[in-house]
Amino acid sequence: MPKRLLQFLLLWVCLATISSGFAVSVKPQQVLDLHYGEVLFHFYQEDYFTAISQLMVAQEQNLLRHHQDESELLLGGLQLSYGMPDQAERRFDRLLVHNTNRELRNRVWYYLTKISYQRGHYRSALEKLQKIEQPDEKSIAAELAVLNANLHMALSENNKAAEALKKIRAPDGWKEYLRINRGIALLRAGELEEGRKTLDKLGKENADSEELRTLRDRANLGLGYELLRAGDAAQAREYLNRVRLQGPFKQAALLGAGWADAEKGDYEQALIPWLALLELSSYEAPVQEAQLAVPYAFAQLGDSQRAIHFYEKAIGYFDDEQQQLDTAIQGAQSGVLLSLLSQTDTGISGGWLHDTPTLEGVPSGRYLVDVLAAHSFQEPLKDYRDLGYLQQLLNEWLDNINLYYDMVDARRLAYQQRAPLIRERLEIQEANALHQRWQDFQSLTHAQHGSGDPLDLATGKEKQQWRTLRKVQITLANLPPEPRHTNMLAKARWLQGILYWQIQANYKARLWDVEKQLQALEGPITEAVAQHQQVSDALENVQVGFDGYDGRIEGLRQRILALLPRIQASRKRSSEQLQRLALQELETRRQRLVSYRIQARYALARSYDLIAQQSGEQP
Amino acid sequence: MNSLCRGILVGLLVWPWLVVADPESNLETGVNEDVQTLKQQVLELNRDLFMLEEELLFPSNTQVSVFVSMDVGEFFQLDSVQVKIDGKEVADYLYTRRELDALTRGGVQRIHMGNLRTGEHELVAFFTGKGPQGRDYKRGATTQIQKGLGPKYVELKIVDQTRNFQPEFDIKEW
Repeated sequence: MPKRLLQFLLLWVCLATISSGFAVSVKPQQVLDLHYGEVLFHFYQEDYFTAISQLMVAQEQNLLRHHQDESELLLGGLQLSYGMPDQAERRFDRLLVHNTNRELRNRVWYYLTKISYQRGHYRSALEKLQKIEQPDEKSIAAELAVLNANLHMALSENNKAAEALKKIRAPDGWKEYLRINRGIALLRAGELEEGRKTLDKLGKENADSEELRTLRDRANLGLGYELLRAGDAAQAREYLNRVRLQGPFKQAALLGAGWADAEKGDYEQALIPWLALLELSSYEAPVQEAQLAVPYAFAQLGDSQRAIHFYEKAIGYFDDEQQQLDTAIQGAQSGVLLSLLSQTDTGISGGWLHDTPTLEGVPSGRYLVDVLAAHSFQEPLKDYRDLGYLQQLLNEWLDNINLYYDMVDARRLAYQQRAPLIRERLEIQEANALHQRWQDFQSLTHAQHGSGDPLDLATGKEKQQWRTLRKVQITLANLPPEPRHTNMLAKARWLQGILYWQIQANYKARLWDVEKQLQALEGPITEAVAQHQQVSDALENVQVGFDGYDGRIEGLRQRILALLPRIQASRKRSSEQLQRLALQELETRRQRLVSYRIQARYALARSYDLIAQQSGEQP
Repeated sequence: MNSLCRGILVGLLVWPWLVVADPESNLETGVNEDVQTLKQQVLELNRDLFMLEEELLFPSNTQVSVFVSMDVGEFFQLDSVQVKIDGKEVADYLYTRRELDALTRGGVQRIHMGNLRTGEHELVAFFTGKGPQGRDYKRGATTQIQKGLGPKYVELKIVDQTRNFQPEFDIKEW
């Protein structure tokens, strides 16, 4: 059991905020920005640090356009869960200034209520709770009712607490919690009969899960003790009998059952549960108390011999426990506690411990683990663990920073090697030359529409043929006018006519085709020109970029170096705080044991006196 | 003696007053405020470092990110997702129960972040898990993605199809 405590204790703080159906929508979220979904992915796994980091990056890069207000609310909620209530409160206050919608405002007020509640500002929390409009969803209404009731109970307004819980129609999974809280509120308000009825009903119900069985045990145990306090021992015994002997409240129930019998004067009966407690190898409070209760019962039964035996046994037990506690105190003072705390460093930012702590080599480790599992240690322990994670993270970044320097240097070198060649190529102005040619063709086609010469669109071969025929004609024209030459000239003219006719016949189709091709080329050529400009600009700016990276990396490195010693110092203060708290708690326990031991010795002395007195009376 | 022992009893056993949410105790504010400030400063630094790393390792002109999302998940219980780009495996991820829960609640997982040249690329995703009636189920989805100048985001969606009670695997380019 003690091994599980350290694992458990880090869960509580998370559950207090994450289990809220109001803070986070119960239904699956509709994600309109992928990066918002990514934040939710980490948030739902209670990895708050990663979720906050991702959210801050996405906000900086303007990637949450569809979830702007929600992301602010989520960031506030994450900060609250990550132990940053001051920052969360400021963020929520800012959200209220904006003209946010009804649902969002309700959620903001809910978070502000929780913050005031956590700080113990109950009246202020109640005022904030009043600002939340009654929700339609049953589970949210139930959650708000419990919060309302808890606040009233904290302010000792138990009637109002019971009233708040009465009005709510609880959904599945909430009924039992609402009823037990209402029963408690009624008892505290002095409405014993109504409170008893409420808890009695809950304590008798069939429970099909361990959670409900534990809740049922809790109701029976609480009711039993309340009746014991009110002097109704018979009824108290009945309720205490219902508590399972396999459950977590076994020891308290056995102790209470014994007291109920003792209250009725049936000490023989009382010895049964108390002796059962002594059989347990436990150091918990009920067993310690049973050490005194058992001899007390024998003394009441007039069995002084047995009373003496068990008082002596109790003194031995208290001595042994006190020794263990002294060892634990020495351990806490000498740094053993820190070695135990170091086991909480798992290298992950979430509030989960996957392995139970090892107590090997930790003297009286069970006491230390037990103390650390106490409620008052949870926040400081969480801070201690968070600081450990931050320290580890920054050290990893520090290692990476050197790699970034290398990366930028490698790129700078590559730039120096390649830049001259690229610059040379850019100087040829290929893209601009292409663009000029394209523009020339464009002008040509425009001109064709005005006074088109079909020969301008002739193919290379046709142009060659045309030139040949022209040349032939010129040559023939210079020859003596013989019939043979005249015939040949006529034939050349005829062929030229045919060629012209062919070119002209295809002219419109050719013009259309050329225009189409020029149109298709416009995009790529424009892009090529733009790319040329981009490369040209990049080539000029890249050097400035490298220098910028150098500055940025160095700035970040300095920030890491400035933060690391502060984290270390804060972690030291945190561990000292834990150590101080642990020592206080261990000292309180020690004082209690000392007090038990004094009582046992006093009672033992009285028992001896009694025996001596009885022997004196008997001649 | 009886009243003495009863005094001990009341002192030792604390009534379990609050069941759902207990009020957190007042903290030692000095240390806590210091821790809060440090957390804020580390978060801001972490953001700036993260952005620098992204710029250096995955410049926006070549950056490609693949995300996985799940709608409901009643007809398909996801075990793992494998992603290949241009025939090369870039991710093979086995899911935990907590991650699956986060996905079904609307969380989106970034399964891969890498670099691609501009142009067309083939992306293949294989989804392995349990299908309807708890049978082993493996399906693939393929698409051609067009990488332009800015960062490219691709979402692998697992959607329940109520019309045929089968899961559907879709790839969406953002």
